[in-house]
Amino acid sequence: MLAKILTAVFLIATFMGPGPGIYLVNPSAEADSPVTILGIPILYAWVAFWFFVQAVVVLIASKKLWEPHDEPEA
Amino acid sequence: MTPPLILAAAEATSSYLPHILLGAYMLLLIGLCVVGYRKGKATEEDYYLAGRGQGVLVTSLTIMATMFSSAALLGIPGTVYRDGLAFVPFALNLTIGGIGIYFLGSRMHRLGKANGYVTPADLVGDYYGGNAVRLLAALTGALYVLPYVIMQIKAGGYLAERLFPDVPPIVFLGSEYDMFRAGVWALSFLTMAYVLIGGMRSVAWTDVIQGMLLLSGMLVAGLATVIYFQDKGGYFNAIAELPHEALSVPGATGKWNAWMMLSICTCASLGAIIQPGQWMRFYAARSVKTLRQSALVFAIILPFCFIFGIMLVALGARSEFPPEWREDPAKPEVAAVIYPHEELGPSPTDTDKAVIVMAQHTVPKVFGQTTGTLIVTLILIAVLAASMSTADSNLHALSAVLTRDVYDKYLRPEASEREKTWFGRVVIIVATIAAVIFVEIGNKAQGFNPLTLITQLMFLAIAFSSQLLPLAVDCLYLHKGTRKGAVAGLTIGILVVFLIGPFPELLFGKEATAGLTSFTDTLKDYIHTSAIGLFANAIIFAIVSCYTPKLPAEHIQKFRKLLKN
Repeated sequence: MLAKILTAVFLIATFMGPGPGIYLVNPSAEADSPVTILGIPILYAWVAFWFFVQAVVVLIASKKLWEPHDEPEA
Repeated sequence: MTPPLILAAAEATSSYLPHILLGAYMLLLIGLCVVGYRKGKATEEDYYLAGRGQGVLVTSLTIMATMFSSAALLGIPGTVYRDGLAFVPFALNLTIGGIGIYFLGSRMHRLGKANGYVTPADLVGDYYGGNAVRLLAALTGALYVLPYVIMQIKAGGYLAERLFPDVPPIVFLGSEYDMFRAGVWALSFLTMAYVLIGGMRSVAWTDVIQGMLLLSGMLVAGLATVIYFQDKGGYFNAIAELPHEALSVPGATGKWNAWMMLSICTCASLGAIIQPGQWMRFYAARSVKTLRQSALVFAIILPFCFIFGIMLVALGARSEFPPEWREDPAKPEVAAVIYPHEELGPSPTDTDKAVIVMAQHTVPKVFGQTTGTLIVTLILIAVLAASMSTADSNLHALSAVLTRDVYDKYLRPEASEREKTWFGRVVIIVATIAAVIFVEIGNKAQGFNPLTLITQLMFLAIAFSSQLLPLAVDCLYLHKGTRKGAVAGLTIGILVVFLIGPFPELLFGKEATAGLTSFTDTLKDYIHTSAIGLFANAIIFAIVSCYTPKLPAEHIQKFRKLLKN
């Protein structure tokens, strides 16, 4: 179950971060279109956010799913 | 000492600091090379895999250093400089790459350890059987290596230009070598020397130093850039003032739409992870645990250094040294191209120098003259290190591929270990010289030269190595493919990359290939070359596998058992 959840979250992050999800926040050419959020360029903040999501997924997967399959070192 | 003397001494020292630090770095590399040679054994496994005993520090840093070459500090930030924020999502390909290290690398490791594999072709050739798969896999490896080595050597030239701007051209054997050419030759031959002598041990240990320089260089440069802008109203305020084309997708050149970026972050990322040099590092790791830990480091630390380090420098460079749109005499068919600010250089490809110029501009102002010179020199050495770490790994991998998959299997099966190791060394020499010749030719070429940008070379190389991905996934997980399916898929994948790359135009001219170029350019507007080749490969692999004889069940079962263990 944890594997499925982490996979889903990671796929969503991949779709949103570098993928078409970025168009949800992409600044349009109109003069009043916002380009920043809390003073940070929107696209930069968006990418940073989804990076943190992916990083958390990888950390949890490494600890909970992958580590139990480590073979004993010689 | 009185203050003026201290200042004079500091000034004198700081003007020689780059030379001292560069000299110290070169001596360190030579030292590691000698140690690697002394500790090594004259066997193929030791020369190529350092005895399969590399721990987590060496494995994670050598994987990172091999992956990120001059592209990390020149090409990728150069693209951010040119195109703006639209290229920042590229950093997220590294988390996917990290996952690939675990899921693919750990299984490759298990099979490699059990069956004594050294090269990618050892694994896929053993699984599918026959000669064609092995030779095609070796060809794919070679096609990856050459553009990547060329890329690194070019970076050496750029660095020499910036490190020694006032040094007059060197005359050697009647030929004049400006700093670009001198840097190209020097980087090539130093890298070649320590790979030749020390093998995988020297390569991996130098990668540890180079990896640490690379990561710290990225972060320090980013920090200096952000601090520099504090006096100018703040870093993000300055970035927010960039033109709209630099703050939105698809970026200034219109290339980086979301579908293109998604295909790069998925297909190209995994293709880069299964390049021959990385594949060998998976074999060389001490254990699966080592690879798991390395995957974690790769998936988190490297993208962090990009997003919060080097990409900040590139965006800062765009603000401080804005590029401009101008007509390019070499491309009359295009309305305008982006030229970098004159501080970077006169050519469109000089955008690759954004980090170097920005570091030289900001770091002394932030950290003071002497400390700043020290840090700038270390950053420039980090770029050099990044280039050398990838060049050495790729030369080393090419040597393994041609020795093991061609010389040992088909030309001289009776060759002794010693002879095979020496053949591998000859490959390294020949490949290095070939790469230097390519750079020299490219440097002199007037007009059409599509492979001038570092990122162009990087993506082309990755497009080739990506073609091994369907076979890797099948061998390691699915076990549904057949030998003929593998051959057909790999052949088609390589052909597709050739057809949609710059080669048809290079070989047959622009007019003869206009129709093909028009079609492939439209396709490449939305999907990366690696993904196009990969899809064609996978589809043909699957279809042909459905209608051709399956691999023996007991053979598949043998592999499944090893993977479970």
